[in-house]
Amino acid sequence: MNAGEALRAGAREIYANKFRSTLSFAAVSVGVASLLYTMAQTQGMKEALEKNLELMGPGRLTIEKKRNYISKGLSLGLTYADALALRRELPDLYMVEPRSTGWLRLVHGKTSLNGVKVTGGTPDHRRRDWVYKLRGRFINSYDVQQRSRVAVMVEPGTWFKKPFWAKFWGDDNEYDSFAKRRDLLGSRLRLDDAVFTVVGVLTPPPRDLDPRWDSWDTPNALVPITAFQQHLSQGATNPDSVDEIRIDTGDARTLASRRRQIEAILKRRHRGEEDFEVKDDREEVEAKMEEMRKYVKAGLALGLVALLAGGIGIMNVTLATIFARVREIGVRRAIGASRADILAQFLFEAAMLGGAGGVAGVALGLGGVRWLAGLGGTRDLAQITWLQCVEGVLLAALVSAAFAFIPAYRASRLDPVEALKAE
Amino acid sequence: MNSIHVDGLTRTYQGGYQALKGVSFSVAKGEFTAIMGPSGCGKSTLLNILGLLDRPTGGKYLLEGAETARLSDAEITGLRRARIGFVFQAFNLLPRLSALENVALPMAYAGQGVEERRARARELLTRVGLGRKAENTPLQLSGGERQRVGIARALANRPALLLADEPTGNLDSKSSVEILALFKELNAEGMTVVLVTHDPAIGAAAGRVIRIKDGALA
Repeated sequence: MNAGEALRAGAREIYANKFRSTLSFAAVSVGVASLLYTMAQTQGMKEALEKNLELMGPGRLTIEKKRNYISKGLSLGLTYADALALRRELPDLYMVEPRSTGWLRLVHGKTSLNGVKVTGGTPDHRRRDWVYKLRGRFINSYDVQQRSRVAVMVEPGTWFKKPFWAKFWGDDNEYDSFAKRRDLLGSRLRLDDAVFTVVGVLTPPPRDLDPRWDSWDTPNALVPITAFQQHLSQGATNPDSVDEIRIDTGDARTLASRRRQIEAILKRRHRGEEDFEVKDDREEVEAKMEEMRKYVKAGLALGLVALLAGGIGIMNVTLATIFARVREIGVRRAIGASRADILAQFLFEAAMLGGAGGVAGVALGLGGVRWLAGLGGTRDLAQITWLQCVEGVLLAALVSAAFAFIPAYRASRLDPVEALKAE
Repeated sequence: MNSIHVDGLTRTYQGGYQALKGVSFSVAKGEFTAIMGPSGCGKSTLLNILGLLDRPTGGKYLLEGAETARLSDAEITGLRRARIGFVFQAFNLLPRLSALENVALPMAYAGQGVEERRARARELLTRVGLGRKAENTPLQLSGGERQRVGIARALANRPALLLADEPTGNLDSKSSVEILALFKELNAEGMTVVLVTHDPAIGAAAGRVIRIKDGALA
């Protein structure tokens, strides 16, 4: 028997028992889909991680206020002055950006919006994670010195390819719908109680192509940190307070030593109080990735279990098929089929069934990956190669053949005389 | 050289039932032999042994002068495939295959090429008068036609010996006559035929009758 004939014979048998076949390969499909999805995620995560790290810079640290810290009253907390001191004492730092963020009211003409995300920063903002196109100008050091009430607005993210859920549910918040219909450059608008002039507009990359791992963290407007302190940070105990200071040492090799120096300087300035935390951004990203890896492992386990369950299903179907075809086995043996021929026939049919399940699984998996690709910002998590699809189908076929071995072997050992008597 | 030679053949089933109690005879090449006897006398058991589907418990079976007792299952299968053609009472065609594919199947197991197989299967179907129904499945054929396909399939690998177990048992009398005529034709062309039958008409048509009763020659 050649492969083409065996293929046709197998297809005929599967088609003749459509219901049984469909049932048996359903589980295989789920297994393959799950594995494929998982493989795609693993691949995508690796690439996403590499891209993120490249974009965020080699020596990134974030200084934050320590959570749940109760001050002894000696420290003034994290301040703009701290950032200036770090700049002064460690002049080789590539980036030192004090930052504060608030969710404020924006009034423009007759429009009034709540919960607009405004970040106070410095020109150093441009040094890392810069993915924007700029019209007008950015905040400069003069603005920071003069506490100028100038704002750079961030346009809402568009889509390169809009995911289906965005079409159904809509993906715009209030600010997005407001900003996308207007050119704000040069206009004046009110943030809380202060009037700001829009001097620049930033266009982020399409959401589904944004390479930043924290692209969801993009503010709606950027203002000088000093203007933010003076006009927008109501309720702060210390008028010079900032939320965080973002640092890039510029070189991964100096990260550890600079970190120690930064900690020493801040501790001195905070009069011994350790009311701040220095976080390594890479560790943060990698911790996040590690967490995702756990999910991936769970997906992998799920896929394997589904595949095993599918294999057992195939085993059952093979058993049923053989019971229904004992006489056929007798006839084949009588006209010259060897035991090996019978074994090969049923293994091949099981492999075909599993392969069909694999194909359905690949289709399902690709659907899943498309869906994954549709979620904003996670495009990179959805990489899939043709090789993986082929591997998925082969794996399903192989598992099915392996599980069909015992029934098929038993079929091959049937006594031809007894088999011919079967009804 | 004899086509078949059996000597003191016994077959005892598990549980001790003795179906054959020492059967000895020879069939010469080109003979047309009918094995007759009442139900349960052991004639089907004998035919299964002659067809290498079953093995005797004791005694000798020489097929074309060669001892078969010590052969492995693979060797037995090879011999069955190459030297023996089987015709069944219930036809035993594979229902999902066309007549042509059914006839070609033994050649597939013998490892012949697709074109070669199809050509020979077509030739054989023409030979048994079914050249026009080669693409029909068994369900689209009458009983007599099915048995013709069965005979064509038995001839596929050019066997030395044609064995038939009640080949007309499921057929009406008209078809029976035709099938018997086909067997006689094949025999006239030199084929050794051994068939098991109840039908005295077929017994009369055969050149020789071996009668069995209670597992022994009568």
